[in-house]
Amino acid sequence: MKKFGAVLAVACLAVVALSLSSCSSSGGKEGGTLNGTYASFPDSLDPALARTVEAWTAMYATYVPLLTYAHESGQTGSKVVPGLAESLPKISSGGKTYTLTLRKGLKYSDGTPVKASDFAASVERMFKLNSGGSTFYTGIVGAEKFAETKSGGIPGIKTDDKTGKIVIELTQPRGTFTSELALLYVTVLPADTPVKNMTADPPPGTGPYEIVKTEPGRSWSYDRNPQWEKNNAALMPDVPSGHVDKIDIKVVGNPSTQVNEVERGSSDWMQTTIPSDLYNKVKEKYEGSQFRVEPTISNYFFWMNTTKPPFDDVKVRQAVNYALNGAAMERIYAGSLKPIQQILPPGIPGYEKYELYPYDMGKAKQLIAEANPSDRDITVWTDDESPNNEATAYYQDVLNKLGFNAKLKEVAAEDYFTLTGNLSTPDLDTGWLDWYQDYPHPNDFFQPLLAGESILPQENSNYAQIDDPKLNAKIARLSKETLGATQEAEYAALDREYMEQAPWAPYGTRTVSTFVSSDVNLDDVVFNPTFGQDLASFQFK
Amino acid sequence: MVDQPQPPPASAAAVGRGPWRVALRRLRRNRGTLVFIVVFVLIVLFVLAAPLWADHLADTGPNATHTLEKVEVDGEIREVVDPAGRPIGPLWFGAGGKFFLGADGRLGRDEMVRLMYGGRTSLFIALTSALITTLLAVVLGLLAGYYRGWTDTLISRALDVIWAFPVLLLAIALGIALAVGGLQIGPLTISSGSIWIPILIIGGVLIPYTARPVRGQVLSLREKDFVEAAVAQGAGPLRVMFGELLPNLASTIIVFFTINVANNMLLESALSFLGVGVQPPNASWGAMIATGNDLITSAPLLTILPGTMILLTVLSLNVIGDGLRDALDPKAKIRLEAHAGLAEPEGTPV
Repeated sequence: MKKFGAVLAVACLAVVALSLSSCSSSGGKEGGTLNGTYASFPDSLDPALARTVEAWTAMYATYVPLLTYAHESGQTGSKVVPGLAESLPKISSGGKTYTLTLRKGLKYSDGTPVKASDFAASVERMFKLNSGGSTFYTGIVGAEKFAETKSGGIPGIKTDDKTGKIVIELTQPRGTFTSELALLYVTVLPADTPVKNMTADPPPGTGPYEIVKTEPGRSWSYDRNPQWEKNNAALMPDVPSGHVDKIDIKVVGNPSTQVNEVERGSSDWMQTTIPSDLYNKVKEKYEGSQFRVEPTISNYFFWMNTTKPPFDDVKVRQAVNYALNGAAMERIYAGSLKPIQQILPPGIPGYEKYELYPYDMGKAKQLIAEANPSDRDITVWTDDESPNNEATAYYQDVLNKLGFNAKLKEVAAEDYFTLTGNLSTPDLDTGWLDWYQDYPHPNDFFQPLLAGESILPQENSNYAQIDDPKLNAKIARLSKETLGATQEAEYAALDREYMEQAPWAPYGTRTVSTFVSSDVNLDDVVFNPTFGQDLASFQFK
Repeated sequence: MVDQPQPPPASAAAVGRGPWRVALRRLRRNRGTLVFIVVFVLIVLFVLAAPLWADHLADTGPNATHTLEKVEVDGEIREVVDPAGRPIGPLWFGAGGKFFLGADGRLGRDEMVRLMYGGRTSLFIALTSALITTLLAVVLGLLAGYYRGWTDTLISRALDVIWAFPVLLLAIALGIALAVGGLQIGPLTISSGSIWIPILIIGGVLIPYTARPVRGQVLSLREKDFVEAAVAQGAGPLRVMFGELLPNLASTIIVFFTINVANNMLLESALSFLGVGVQPPNASWGAMIATGNDLITSAPLLTILPGTMILLTVLSLNVIGDGLRDALDPKAKIRLEAHAGLAEPEGTPV
C-alpha cells in the first residue's frame, strides 16, 4: 500500500507538472502560429536603421541591446533594465564614463558567441550606414570624427572580449545616455554584419525570436531563436521567452480588410490602428475582449523647411499654425487624436499645456500679407497611410486658402522617411511627420528633431532644418543634466521658445489600438510605450 | 439599232457613295452602337459640365475640404463629417445641389464635384494617351512595314522588349520611378505630380499593341498594285507611306484608337487606384475608388459611383469600337458572320 501510495503520488505530481508546463500563469496555451498584419512594410528590418514604431514593434522580441526597456505596458515599460549587459551601467568621471559588462555565454541565433567587441563594431556600423539614430551617439569620444571619415574606429569605446567589459567615454556628461543605450540603433550584432541595409536578410539576434524570412514590401516570419532556450533565456531574466512558436506577418494595405480578417479569425492581430470609419463599431463590439485603446506619447505635426522660402520667414510659419484647425484634425482622426500645439506631448516630463496659436484664419491671412512671400509654390509631403494622408490633404487645402500654390506629394509609407530624410531630395518644403518617444525624456523631442547637429545629409531627422545656436546650446546643456523639476521647467520653456519660431505646425497626440482575434488572450498582450505591442507577449487561449 | 443587253441596275446605295458614307450608313443601322454612342456623349457632357455644377450648384471645388462645415438640409442643420469621421450621404437637391452625392470621406469633399472633375481627368488621360499611342504606333508600324530589313528588325525588337513586360507591372514600375523626381528629357521637364506622367506612361507602354498590327497590314499593303503604281510614277518613300498607305490604314487606326481609349482608361484607373497614376488630392475615377475603398463598409457608394462610371465609359467605347470595325471593315464582318452561318451572298448591296 505504501508503495502504491508512493507511485500514485509520483503520478499525480507528474500530471500536475505536465499540466503546468503546457499552461502559462494566465491559463493560455504555449505554441501555435501567430498571424499578424501590418498596413505597410516597416521602414527597415535592420535594427541600426529602423526609425518607426512599426519597425521597432517588429524587432522588440528579436534584438536585445546592452540595456533594454522592460517588456511591460504603461509607465513600467519606460524603465530601462539590463539586456545583454549584466547590470545597468556604472557611471563615473562626472557622468562621462559608462562601464558595462556583457553577460557570459550569450549566443546569436546562428550559434556565434556574443563578444564585447561586437558592440563597438555595431556602433561603427550604425555610423557607417548614416543611421538617423546616430545623433544620439555623437557624444562618444571620437564618434563625430568617425561619422565623417568612417574609418579609424571610435576611441571612446573600449572593449575586452575576455572579460566582456565595455567602457564608453563621452566628451561631456549626457543625462539621457542610459536610455539611449537601450535603443535598437545600438543593438549588438555580429561584428561581420555587412554594412548595408539588411532588411532583406536581417542579421542574427539574441532575443527569443529570430526573423527567418523576409519578402520586403510583403511579409516576414519569425521562428523561435534556437539559442534562446539553450543559452540566452536563463541569462536574461528581464526578457520574456514568448509563447507562440512561429509568427507570420503580412502586409495588408487596406485597414478595413485587416479588421475583417481579425474578426473572421484568419488573422490574430493587426498592428495598424483601426480605421476611423470602423473605430467606434469595433470599440463598442470588442472593447475589453479583443480591443483595447492604447495611449501613446507622440506628436503629429507638419514640419516647415526653415531654410527655404516661403518658410524661411517666421511670419509665414506662424500663419500656418494659426490657420490649422485642431478640431478638424480631431475629426479626420475620428477621435483617436487630441489636438496639441507644442513640441512636448502629454505624458512626457516637462509637458506644460499651452496654446500659442489658437485657430484664427483672419490673423493667419494678415501675417501672410505682412510677409508677402515671393515664392508661393509649395510641395507638401505625406506618406500614403490613412488618415495621415488625409490630414495632409487638409493641410494642403489650408495652405491654398492662405494663398499658396501647394501640391501634394504622396509617397509609399515604407519609403517616406528615407526620401524626406535625404536632403538631396528635391522640393522638401513642408510635410507630415509623427514622432513617438524613443525614451521617456523630453530631450527625445528636441535633440533629434530640432537640434542643429541633427541636420544630416541622409537619414535627417531635423526635418524643419532649424539651426538656432542659442536653442542648440540649451538642448546640449540640458541633455547633460539629470532630469529633475528644474530641468523639466526648462524644457517647458524651451518648448515655448521653439514654438515662437514655429518650425512645426503640431496638431495632435494620438491613441492607437490593439485588436486581436478571439483566439488570443488580450489581457496578456503587452503594449510598451516605446516599442508598441510586444510579440513575445501574445498567447493563444 | 441593236438592242444590247443592259447590266442589272445597280442599287442606289452601291453607286455614287464613298466608302465613308457607306460606313456611316452601316453604323446608323447598328442600333446597339448608336445607343452606346449616346451613352458616351452623355458621359462627355456630364464631365464637361463640371465647372458649371461646381460653381452654380455645389459652390465648391473638387479639392476643397469641408471637414467641420455644416449644411442645411430641408431646414435641418447637419454636419458634413460627423465626429466619428463618417461623411454625409447623398443629399440630392436637399441642400440646393450641395453634396448631391454626399461627401467623399473625412475631408468632406463634394463627391459629385469630384466625380465630374475626376471624369474629366480620366477621360483626358485616356484620350491623350490613346492619341500618343496611336500616333507613335502608326509611324513605327509604317516605317517597319515599309522599309523592312534592319529598320523592321530594330523597331520590332524594341517593341518586343516593351511587349515582354506585363503592361500593368511596367506601368507601375515607371510610375514609381517617376513619382519623386518627375521626368526630364533634355529641356523638357515634367514634375512628378503632373498629369502628363501617367499620360506618357500609358501612352508609351501600349504602343506595341497597335504598332504590330499596323506593321502587319503595311507589309501586306506595300505589295499591292496601287503602291507599285505610285512608285512607278516616281513617288518617294514618304509619299508612299503617308500618301498611299496611311489612307488605307484609316479604318484600322480609327478602330484601334477607340479601343485604346477604353484600355487606357482602365489602365489609368488601375494605376491611380494603386497610387502611381493621378496624384492626390486630384480626382480621377481610379483614385476615387481608392479613396472610397477605405470606407467601403460604411459608405459603399463612394466606390460604386466611380466604378460604374468607368464601367459605362469602357463598355460604351468598346461597343463603339466594335461598331466602327463592323462599319469600316465589312469584309471582317462578313467573315465573322459567314463563320456563324449568317452571311449574305457577297455583292449584295448594302
